[in-house]
Amino acid sequence: MFVRWALLLVLGLVSWATAKSSTGDSVLVILEPNLDKDNFSIFFDGLREKGYDLTFRSPKDTHPPVLEHEHAQFSHVILFAPETKIFASDITPQSLVTLLSKNTNLLIALSPKQTPLTSLAPEFSLVLPPPGTPLISHFPERDTPATVIPVNVSSSSPILTQGLAPVWFSGIPFSLQNNPLLVPILNAPPESFASDSESDNGADSIVEAADKGGEGLWAGSQLGLVTGFHALGGPRVTWVGGVDIFSDEYIQKEVAKGVESGNEQFIADVAAWTFQESLALRIDSVSHRRLNETEPRETYTTNDQLVFSTHISKYNPETAAWEPYSGIDDLQLEFTMLDPHIRTSLPPVPGTPGEYSVTFRAPDRHGVFKFVINHKRKGWTHLQSSTVVPVVPPRHDEYPRFLSAAWPYYVGAISTSLGFFLFSALWLAGDDRESKKTKGSKTE
Amino acid sequence: MYSLRPLFWLLLAVAAVQASVLSLQSPRFTILSSSAEQLRSEPLSVTQKPAPLTLGASDALKLTFQVLDKDEGKGVQPHQTFLRFYDEISGEEGIQPVRVTSGGKAKFELNMARPPASIPPTSAGIPLKVELIIGSFVHSPLKVELFELFLPESHPAPQHPDEASFHPLPPIHHTFRPEQKLPPRIISAVSAVLVLAPWVVLVGLWGHIRPSVPYLLSPSILPFIVTLGAFETLLVWYWVDLKLGQVLLYGGILSVFAALAGRQALATKGDLRVGRK
Repeated sequence: MFVRWALLLVLGLVSWATAKSSTGDSVLVILEPNLDKDNFSIFFDGLREKGYDLTFRSPKDTHPPVLEHEHAQFSHVILFAPETKIFASDITPQSLVTLLSKNTNLLIALSPKQTPLTSLAPEFSLVLPPPGTPLISHFPERDTPATVIPVNVSSSSPILTQGLAPVWFSGIPFSLQNNPLLVPILNAPPESFASDSESDNGADSIVEAADKGGEGLWAGSQLGLVTGFHALGGPRVTWVGGVDIFSDEYIQKEVAKGVESGNEQFIADVAAWTFQESLALRIDSVSHRRLNETEPRETYTTNDQLVFSTHISKYNPETAAWEPYSGIDDLQLEFTMLDPHIRTSLPPVPGTPGEYSVTFRAPDRHGVFKFVINHKRKGWTHLQSSTVVPVVPPRHDEYPRFLSAAWPYYVGAISTSLGFFLFSALWLAGDDRESKKTKGSKTE
Repeated sequence: MYSLRPLFWLLLAVAAVQASVLSLQSPRFTILSSSAEQLRSEPLSVTQKPAPLTLGASDALKLTFQVLDKDEGKGVQPHQTFLRFYDEISGEEGIQPVRVTSGGKAKFELNMARPPASIPPTSAGIPLKVELIIGSFVHSPLKVELFELFLPESHPAPQHPDEASFHPLPPIHHTFRPEQKLPPRIISAVSAVLVLAPWVVLVGLWGHIRPSVPYLLSPSILPFIVTLGAFETLLVWYWVDLKLGQVLLYGGILSVFAALAGRQALATKGDLRVGRK
């Protein structure tokens, strides 16, 4: 115990500014009275080491409030109140949605009991099983209860560290509806299902539950246990089926002889994603110009060669800074007037980190166009930018000047001028000997 | 679940002592056509998968087996008896519970004319892997890969309308109007030469008349001829390069010289005519 505290002190002194979130460090932890803060000490201490300020509060307290005078008082909120039936007025489901609109990230834990949060989850396209039906799995054969399940972590999620050991989980699964804003983080094992029975006699009730239409049986690997939701506008919400996954007991439990569970790293990764540390991108700047110029113009002409470039950074939690990032290989640019007229890929510029640039020809329709970047990928921040630029038809002197079809006319006009000049010169320079002679002969 | 923990520990302590093994007795599958004609009927072996099964749009698959406690040889009804249909390529999955009697006998029927909702969407040519998952609180769990099943192609899983914007969208190219077409340059060149035809006549006639220009270099006539030439040059320069303001400026300056030179030239011409007379 002492060694742990000493180590924490040293780490705290050495790394006081590491791994902070890109949106703020204040975290409000709403912990229900049944749960003991010390049972989650490894998780909370991990957050403190990274640089977060944790404030604890019970669900029924009204102080400190999350929203005061329409301003969010905390950057992130952790809701470990899975069995509380009554919440204070500033964390009711409606207030939580208002909080999201103020860009506060949420980490919410559920339980088999029915609480106000059970009615909030469907708003995020999650379908919860009936109350009192936790997830159970008889596989693999083990000496923990059927409700405490080791779950293999998929290696394909960009949120989690590669090669994590299986994670202990206990709680409820949710069925994910068809919403592209959902980011699955941990899925249930294929042999697991939600059931309230405790002995083999419950077999018939399971079959009957499946015969009921709709979501009769919660089973299989399509169920989510830890699912993220990327709300429009930026804030991230993570729904976790049970609060025990964060507990010290599960972190220290072994999944196999000598193999530690992956819980500690898993919950650190989940918290890092929810609090906008990992996979956070932003567009630093956007610029446009004509191909052989350096400054942007107020209007462009149809058929111009336009160059569009943007700088994108990714947040690095270790240095707590936004660093240029050239790793997006499928960024697209749309040149839009009501509908996209041109959609091309925006490749990164080799040699300049963080810069993406493309050259294209403006369409030959005039009008008010927008350069639109709308890049959304599961788990990553949505990148959206729109720059309005008018495109005008060519001015009278921007058309081709000398055409080959006009050569006869050029020759004709020049001939006329030349003829006039020669005739005038001849007349001015000549004399009237001829007329004088005829005049003279007439008088005679 | 906290209050039930002690009970679970007790049950599992008991189970750990006697975690008996389950086994499948006489598993068998039958494929029937819509006219109840038996297309294929084979016993299933847990160690070796049979050749992949194929079901047509109106065929039915019947699966029968019995779950036994291996040590006691008695039929048992396990807690969980599920069939898992899994498409490896798309990741779609469907779980179908199978009703098992208390004696362990199980029967499952899949009629393609009225498929259950638990069958996942299938694509042509990609089989579903079918597994049997048996779990129990008192026995060791059992998972058996039964066979691969080819089903007729179904409607694809419905997609959210915004789903496409989360992936790269197809590129759009703008079709530009074709470049303005000009007539062939040869024709323009020939026409230009034709336009010069009157010069032939003019030069010919002048050659015939042979007008004399004795006063060409006289100091009272020459400046005016030069200013006329300058005006013509200014006009050509305007056509090529100048803007209106510039040409009016230069023209204005030149017109002063032209007026002075012209007065002198025309006065001289008049004097010459009168003087001769």
